[in-house]
Amino acid sequence: MAAHQVRRSGLTMPVVTRRFVDHAWRRGCDFINLDLEDSVPQHLKAHARGLIKDAIPVVRKGGAEAFTRINHDYVHADLEAIVWPGLSKVNYPKAESAEEIRLLDDVITRLERERGIRPGTVEIGANIETATGVAAAYDIALASPRVKEFGGGTGYDMSRDLGVEMFVGFEQFAYGKGELELAARALGLQVRAAPFVANTTGSVSDADRALREAQAARKCGFRLGGGLNPAVVEPQNRGFTPTAEEVEDARWVLERHRELAGTGDTWIVIDGRVIDRYEAARARDTLEWAALCTERDREKAEAVLRTRAAMAEPTPPTLA
Amino acid sequence: MSARVRRSWLVVPMSKSEEIVRASRSTADVIVLDLVEFVAEEDKPAARERVEAAIRTAQAGGAEVFAQVDPELLVADLLACAWPGLTGVIVSQLESAQQVADVDGLLAELEAKRGILPGTLEIVAALETARGNHAAYDIGRASPRIRGLTLGRADLIMDLRPEPSGEIHLMPYLMQRLIAVARALGVTPLGAWWRAPARGLLAGPDDTYHAARRGRAIGFTGSLCIDVNQVEPLNRGFTPDDAEAAAATELMTAYRAGVARGVALVEQGDRLVDRGAAAQARALLDRAAACEARAREKAEMAARPPLVRP
Repeated sequence: MAAHQVRRSGLTMPVVTRRFVDHAWRRGCDFINLDLEDSVPQHLKAHARGLIKDAIPVVRKGGAEAFTRINHDYVHADLEAIVWPGLSKVNYPKAESAEEIRLLDDVITRLERERGIRPGTVEIGANIETATGVAAAYDIALASPRVKEFGGGTGYDMSRDLGVEMFVGFEQFAYGKGELELAARALGLQVRAAPFVANTTGSVSDADRALREAQAARKCGFRLGGGLNPAVVEPQNRGFTPTAEEVEDARWVLERHRELAGTGDTWIVIDGRVIDRYEAARARDTLEWAALCTERDREKAEAVLRTRAAMAEPTPPTLA
Repeated sequence: MSARVRRSWLVVPMSKSEEIVRASRSTADVIVLDLVEFVAEEDKPAARERVEAAIRTAQAGGAEVFAQVDPELLVADLLACAWPGLTGVIVSQLESAQQVADVDGLLAELEAKRGILPGTLEIVAALETARGNHAAYDIGRASPRIRGLTLGRADLIMDLRPEPSGEIHLMPYLMQRLIAVARALGVTPLGAWWRAPARGLLAGPDDTYHAARRGRAIGFTGSLCIDVNQVEPLNRGFTPDDAEAAAATELMTAYRAGVARGVALVEQGDRLVDRGAAAQARALLDRAAACEARAREKAEMAARPPLVRP
């Protein structure tokens, strides 16, 4: 599962709430998802669109990537307003067909050309939130090379569409999640998935829970996080990053595996653990991911320092 | 026609000739001569040379013999394996119907050349990648030789890791999908329901038995394994036990009595037995009888003196 970006944590926020947007850079997120959809009231949709262009550089001041979630029903108006330099991804809710994704791709391609954005920069996040979307998952994921990560298949919209309850103690989305993940893997996309952890509360700010979930997801090989409350950002960054012990263990596994070369054996058991090419691949993956996380953390820290330095500069004297 | 009883498929690397003799004494229903997973790349040419003789050795205990072949090394692997005595091939990491057609064509040529009855060499498709599973239905019907589908080592090849619950991520979905596709195509779904941490190579007899028992409960009829100590637990886990057989016999007796009275819905204790329940009990008893017959067959084969070849 090759990583192309480090996206352990991120906050989705209504672009119309100024204080969220202004403070976003201080949160330590890997990405910020500016919302035009469900968290923006209908009468503010036009106003909200007009805010995105300026909000992009604001939320990136701490080194985060900037995404925007558009409305399923206002594709043209929303895309015209949001595809500007600095945007990494358009999240498209309730995706249900390949045609929808191809339309998005066409419009984004034109806007990239017109606005001096390198072709292919802007990704499409095809969010599957309905049964129809599950049925068309493979075609949707295949519809554009801009779709680079894929999965999900849970959440309030899916819950309502399927008629299942949202906070239950069992895996109520098993089939749909499986379909999406299989499509993602078959197409070689980054998988957005998580192991099942029962959630019967619906809390969005439980830091301990966020850490446990992120750790469980990392141990399963997953890397993509995100949330709604600043309290879960740090736990997600930490939970998705390999620990020092894991990095050391990965090096040990690779050494043991190298020792197998030329022995005629393809695997060996050491202290009750199998060492084989699969464990070796996993270890290499851990080391690569740990290095990417370190690099990403450095990038963000430097961006924060730059921003703070710029803010601390004495304000130029003004004429009285 | 009831399918052959193939509960335990013991995989033996062809790089380790001494293990083939051990395997032949293991009571495995099937011995799989492996040229793929457990043979180091540099040992493969020598391993291929051993297959023809190994087929005879492996048969000594009454096991059927399959070979596991690599779709990327198909010609060399099939040339090495398709000899009289071989029942079929497990093709690793199959991803498309075209690959199945290629295997089918090569097997047909080799059957003609080597005096094997045309169309008899079977294929088990190991769907170990996401692409393979995505294309499961098309792969499963790409050749009449296909008799089984398995996820093989999908958990390792797809890097599916344990969840906090102990289930291997995505496997409950993949198993149910494979079983539904296999049954729809009328072929046999092979596998066991392994759970972390004791799975595959490290699973002891108890864990193997439970994996087989759970596997039988969701529709598998037999599973691959790598250790001779996993053979007996697989045979046992995939065979209806005495209590199950007794309960089924009792149910059948009650149902037949009801039918004789002219009713099709019979009370048995606090259960209601209808034609569906009776058919299921019948299937379980048939399976138990087939397992017993297979055990006898293997015992007879093992007792037979070795064939003297001119």
